[in-house]
Amino acid sequence: MIEIERLVKEFGDIKAVDDLTIDVPAKRTVGFLGPNGAGKTTTIKILTNLIASTGGRALINGVDVMTAPKEALAHTGAVVETPEFYPYLTPVETLAYLGRLRGMSSSEINRRSNDVLAQVKMVEWKKTRIGKFSKGMKQRLAIAQALLHEPEVLILDEPTSGLDPRGMVEVREIIKGLKKQDYTIFMSSHLLGEVQEICDSAALINRGKLLVYDSIDNLKALTKTSKIEVTSAGEIPKSAFDRIGQLTDVSSVDAVNSHTMLVTFAGAVEARADLLLAIQGEGLKVTGFSPVGLPLEMMYMDLVKESR
Amino acid sequence: MMTTEELHESLHHVPSDLEQIPIVWRYELLKHLRSKRLLASIALVFVVLVPINFLPPALDVPYSGTTENEAVAFLEPEDMAGIAGAGIPEFGSIALLDKSAIDLDSLEVFLGGVPFDDEDGAAWFTLRMTYQGASAYALIFTSNVTAADVTVSYEWFTAPDEFAGIFLGFGAIIVIICATFFGADALVSEFQNRTGYLIFPNPIKKPMIYIGKFAASMTASIAVLLLLYGGVAILSMFNARGIDDDLGLSFLFAVEYLVAVMAIAYLISALLKGTTGATVLTFLLFLLILPIIDGVAMFTETKVEGSLTFSGDVVSYILLDPYPVDWAYETAGFEFTFYYPDPATSALVIAAYAFIAVLLGAFLFNRKQLVG
Repeated sequence: MIEIERLVKEFGDIKAVDDLTIDVPAKRTVGFLGPNGAGKTTTIKILTNLIASTGGRALINGVDVMTAPKEALAHTGAVVETPEFYPYLTPVETLAYLGRLRGMSSSEINRRSNDVLAQVKMVEWKKTRIGKFSKGMKQRLAIAQALLHEPEVLILDEPTSGLDPRGMVEVREIIKGLKKQDYTIFMSSHLLGEVQEICDSAALINRGKLLVYDSIDNLKALTKTSKIEVTSAGEIPKSAFDRIGQLTDVSSVDAVNSHTMLVTFAGAVEARADLLLAIQGEGLKVTGFSPVGLPLEMMYMDLVKESR
Repeated sequence: MMTTEELHESLHHVPSDLEQIPIVWRYELLKHLRSKRLLASIALVFVVLVPINFLPPALDVPYSGTTENEAVAFLEPEDMAGIAGAGIPEFGSIALLDKSAIDLDSLEVFLGGVPFDDEDGAAWFTLRMTYQGASAYALIFTSNVTAADVTVSYEWFTAPDEFAGIFLGFGAIIVIICATFFGADALVSEFQNRTGYLIFPNPIKKPMIYIGKFAASMTASIAVLLLLYGGVAILSMFNARGIDDDLGLSFLFAVEYLVAVMAIAYLISALLKGTTGATVLTFLLFLLILPIIDGVAMFTETKVEGSLTFSGDVVSYILLDPYPVDWAYETAGFEFTFYYPDPATSALVIAAYAFIAVLLGAFLFNRKQLVG
């Protein structure tokens, strides 16, 4: 398990992490969300001993990363940003290097290297020097090295960053598979759909402070606004925009094109039915009425907006 | 919180700090073995060995040869005074044979074209003289033969210490280049090239990474030095009829100097943010900045025994037998003094630099954070 207790990191006058407290229970997958510069990577760097905190504690399996990093990281696998690899080594040599540092035997390294390289679909490149690899290939290899020693805890910083859409799906499938194997996973991402799809819970931070930390279901329930795309059979008159904008719980109406508009609506599910009726009452022949965007995305936007 | 036992149990298969050092060393050494820098260093050794060995003979200045029927030049009486004071009994005349080593068994003296027997030293004998690393032979006649037509024939060669000294004058430069190639960007590259994101989140302490890397840089550099010294030894066997006794000692000094220069290269690598800056600064520091300081100090008649580059010159001077002593000369109204590092003091100074730079470099590397 991971325990982040009142963690603080200051860079001069800037507080990158501000009194952050998060507990990641064992065998759970927790997403770590926040806009750029929110402090996600800084927190993960502290957890992985890449930088020192200014205050507070970060513990992995009960061991303080700051005071006993070797012990804390013994059963942790990490991918922080997109790491660079030693270009003169092949994937097999890289995994052997890291495996030896972790005390794995040669036979164990061979077995696990083949497994994890197959898992990230890098087997055919296993004896090619990494200097020639693309960013996506390096990201796959980064995931492979994190899994090599079958760690109890996985810390992933934007694990699908740099991957093409197919690669992203594959990595998500890998993480889902690990989740089923009871790994404790703490992953940052700015892809909300990814977090919603993979994680049990999510913590949202902004400006280094924790805004909310709850299960994905509870976070979805926190969603206050939704966007509804409304399509009409005929052209939507300009006067209809003004009138619809004045309806209860509607905060804005934006034209997508002459036949489609986007309504930002803060009402619950039943109120949405009333909204449909009201729009039809404006004389529009509604052919489409569907919410757009993910609930988590709406929640994220609401909370981040409020925290500013 | 974990108990001590649980903590120990959780680490049951992670190697100890000491066990991790050879692992880092092995893969860092692989980097050097696969790099063009090692090839460049080896090429540089050949750039030292080949021209120095082959160019002078090609330009008609061989390292060994045979002199036949060469007329000798006698010293003037006033020049003989200094040699006479060297405990030599009364004599008649002295001729100089300007060679660093002569096969005395082959030496024949002719008086008016007739062989002139030495009569077991009663007629003439030789004395090898050395001054500031240069050697010559005095052919001392017990009678005054300056009026006669005296010629000599002999086989000569370059003395092993002088021969090795020609090559190992570049020894300190090879050390500096090795430290620049194998050490200057060793630490900073982990941050600039972002490989630290891969290695630092592993259960290994940064000082162990430092030691493993340092050992690998030293291994690659020592291999290059061995090539240089091995080459000098082989060439010396052919051209100087033997290997200088102090070649091994020179190698030990070179390795000690390498440790100190490498430690400072690592210190610069831990301090700076860019690989280019660290490489250029290391190179310029040892090849330009410190030698300029040494030169200015010598000009002001100050013996900078605390200077690393001044002490590093012991690598080549230690070959000379006897070891040169400070000397001065005056020209155009200026007095210049040539200082030579004392071997014992140099050994201490170099060790002190190495010790302090290693500690400081490891400390800074341990504190350096992967920000940005």
